[in-house]
Amino acid sequence: MDEKTLAYINLFAVLGGLSKLCELDGDCHKLIEGRDVAIGITVKDGPEGTIHFHDGVCDVTPGVDKCDIKLPFSSCKKFNGLIDGTVTPIPSKGFTKIGFLLKQFTRLTDKLTAYLRPDPEALKDEEFFTVSTTIMFHLILDAVAQIGSVDKIGKASASYIVDGDVRVAIEGGPEGHIHARNHVLTAVHAPVEHPTSYMVFSSMRDARDLFDGKVNAVVCVGLGKVRIGGMISMVDNVNRILDRVSLYLA
Amino acid sequence: MRKVYEYPKSRAAFERACKVIPSGIYGHQGPAEGCYVPVEAFPLYSSRARGSYLWDLDGNRFIDYMCAYGPNVLGYNDPEVDEAAECQRRISDCTTLPNPVMIDFADLLVETVACADWAFFAKNGNDVTTCAVMTARAYTHRKKLVFFKGYYHGVSPWTQKIDYAGVLEEDVANNLYVTWNDFDELSEVFEQNRGEIAAIIAQPYMHGNFADNELPAEGFWQKVRKLCDDTGTVLIIDDVRAGFRLDLAGSDHYFGFKADLICFCKALANGYNVSALCGREFLKNSVSSLSFTGSYWMSAVPFAAGIACINKMKRLGCPQLLIDKGTKLKNGLVTTALKYGYDLHVSGVPSLFYLRIADDPTLMLHQEWIAECVKRGVFFTNHHNHFINASLTDEDIAETLEIADEAFAVVKDRHS
Repeated sequence: MDEKTLAYINLFAVLGGLSKLCELDGDCHKLIEGRDVAIGITVKDGPEGTIHFHDGVCDVTPGVDKCDIKLPFSSCKKFNGLIDGTVTPIPSKGFTKIGFLLKQFTRLTDKLTAYLRPDPEALKDEEFFTVSTTIMFHLILDAVAQIGSVDKIGKASASYIVDGDVRVAIEGGPEGHIHARNHVLTAVHAPVEHPTSYMVFSSMRDARDLFDGKVNAVVCVGLGKVRIGGMISMVDNVNRILDRVSLYLA
Repeated sequence: MRKVYEYPKSRAAFERACKVIPSGIYGHQGPAEGCYVPVEAFPLYSSRARGSYLWDLDGNRFIDYMCAYGPNVLGYNDPEVDEAAECQRRISDCTTLPNPVMIDFADLLVETVACADWAFFAKNGNDVTTCAVMTARAYTHRKKLVFFKGYYHGVSPWTQKIDYAGVLEEDVANNLYVTWNDFDELSEVFEQNRGEIAAIIAQPYMHGNFADNELPAEGFWQKVRKLCDDTGTVLIIDDVRAGFRLDLAGSDHYFGFKADLICFCKALANGYNVSALCGREFLKNSVSSLSFTGSYWMSAVPFAAGIACINKMKRLGCPQLLIDKGTKLKNGLVTTALKYGYDLHVSGVPSLFYLRIADDPTLMLHQEWIAECVKRGVFFTNHHNHFINASLTDEDIAETLEIADEAFAVVKDRHS
C-alpha cells in the first residue's frame, strides 16, 4: 500500500465524506449552521486541500489558498496518522478558530467514523443504514478517482479507460459518475445524462454487501444484483480500481 | 413473431452453482466476463449440442455462433471425429507410455502447417503460448517480450496486466506493449531495448474486444519478420483463436510470412482437449530443454480426434468453406441492419466475424440487439468475435437473418 495514495484518499475521499455527512445527518448539519470556517490541510510531497464549512454546507476542494486554519504535515505518513488517530495536528495558522477544530470538527469526524466503521447493531436501524451506505457510496467514488490518479497500479487501470462517463448508482439510492478524460478520473456526485457505461446496484442491501466484501462482484453480475452495460471495458477497469479501494480502506 | 425464450432452469442452476463454484461460472463462459447484457437475455447452461446447434436446460434451441469459443469447427459431435476418438478410446488413452498415435499426429501437423518442423502437445492454448515464450527465452537467453495492445494470449501471470488480481508487478516487468500495425513504434521499442527482446508474440490480426477487429496493414508482417531476423528475435504467432479458420497451413501462411513458433488449440480437434506448439528446426533443441509437461498431455484419444479433424478439414477445404459461409452471413446481416437504418460493422476475417452496431459509441444499442437475437435463438455475444463451423447450412443462415431482422425491428420500435 502506498502512503501517498492513502493520503489523497484520506483527504479527498474520507474527509471528503464530511460533505455528505453534513447533508444527510441532521445533527451534523446543525453543528455547522451559521459557521464559516475553512480548514486547510497541506501535506509535504502529498495532497493539499481545504475543508470549507459555510452556512450548513461542507465541501472539500484542492488547494489551501483561502483557509482560516492551516494544518501542515511533514509527510503523508504523518497525515495518515491523523486519520488513524495516532497523530495530533498542530495548526500553523488560525489559532483564534482552534475552538472549532477541537469541538465541532472533532464531533463531525467522530460521527463520520461511526458511519464508516459502524457497530453492526447500529446498522439494524434503517435510517442509520441508509446514511452510512450513502456516505460510503460517495466515499468509494472519490477513492476510485484518487487511486486512478495517484496509485501506480490504479494509474495502469486508468490508462485503459476510454473517455466518457461511467454511471454508478444504487436503485432507489445515491447516484454519481466517474468522468474519464485522457485517462484522468474525476468523481462527480450527480447523475449523468448520457453515460458511456453503467454499473447499477439493485438495492442498498446488495450494494452494502459488496462494499463490506460479503459478496463477490462477478457473482452479483451473474445474479442480476449488479447491472453493467455500455462500454463495459470502462466498468471492468473501474472495477479493478474498486478492488484497490478495499485494500486502502480495509 | 418468434417465441421469446426464458431461462428459469438455467437461472436455478446458476444459483446452485454459486454456492459451490467460485463465480458460478468462471472465466469467459460466465455471464460477467462473457458480457451478457442484460443477464436475463442469455441462457447459462447447455443440455446438449449437435452440428451448429446447442440446447439450453430449458429446452431452447440456439444456432450457436460462438462454437464453444472456437473448438467447434466441423459441427458439434462430428461423427467422423467422434468415431476416431471412440476407436482410440477402446485401444488406450491416458497410459504410462504414450501411444504412437502421438507421432502420427505430429507427422500430420508437420505435413500440414507451413512453418512446422516439429510439434509439441499440451492441453490448452495457454499451455502452448507459455511453452512458446519459454522456448524463445531459452533460445535467446533474453528476458523481454513484445505484445500488441489489445492482445490475449491466455491466463498465466505473464499474459495478464499489472492491475489484474493475483498478478505481481514482477510477473509483467519484462512485457513491452506496442500499438497494433504501428511498425515505427515497434522499431523504436526494439531500438530502446536492443539485445534484450526474446520474442514478439502476436495473434495473426487484432481480435480486440469493444472495437472492430483489425487486419494487418499491407506489408506489416513482412516488416516484422525482417525486424525479428535482423535482431535475432523469435516471432511467435498465437494462432489459438484463428488457427485453421484462415488457412490449414497456419495464419502466418495466410498473411504471407513464416513464424518461428505457432500455437494451436481450439479448432485442432473439434472439441477434444489438445493443443500444439509447432515450430522451426532451429528451436527444437530449446523446446527439448524445457521442463514442461502435464498429467494428460500425452493422452491418445485427442490425438486420434485431431488427426480425423485435420483430415476432414482438408477434405472439405475448410478455411475457404468457413470464409464463404461467414461472408454470406455477414452480407445478410449488414443488409438487414440497413433496412432499419443501422450501420452494422462486421470486421475481421468472415470465418471469425466480429459485430458492432456503429450508430452508438456506447455500444448499448448493440447490446440491446444482441440480447433480442439471443432471446429468439441465435447465440451471438456482445464483444467477442464469433466463429463459423462447417456444419452451418444455408437454412441456418436464413433463419439467423430472419431472427436478426425481428431483433432489429424490436430495437427500432423501442427507440422510435
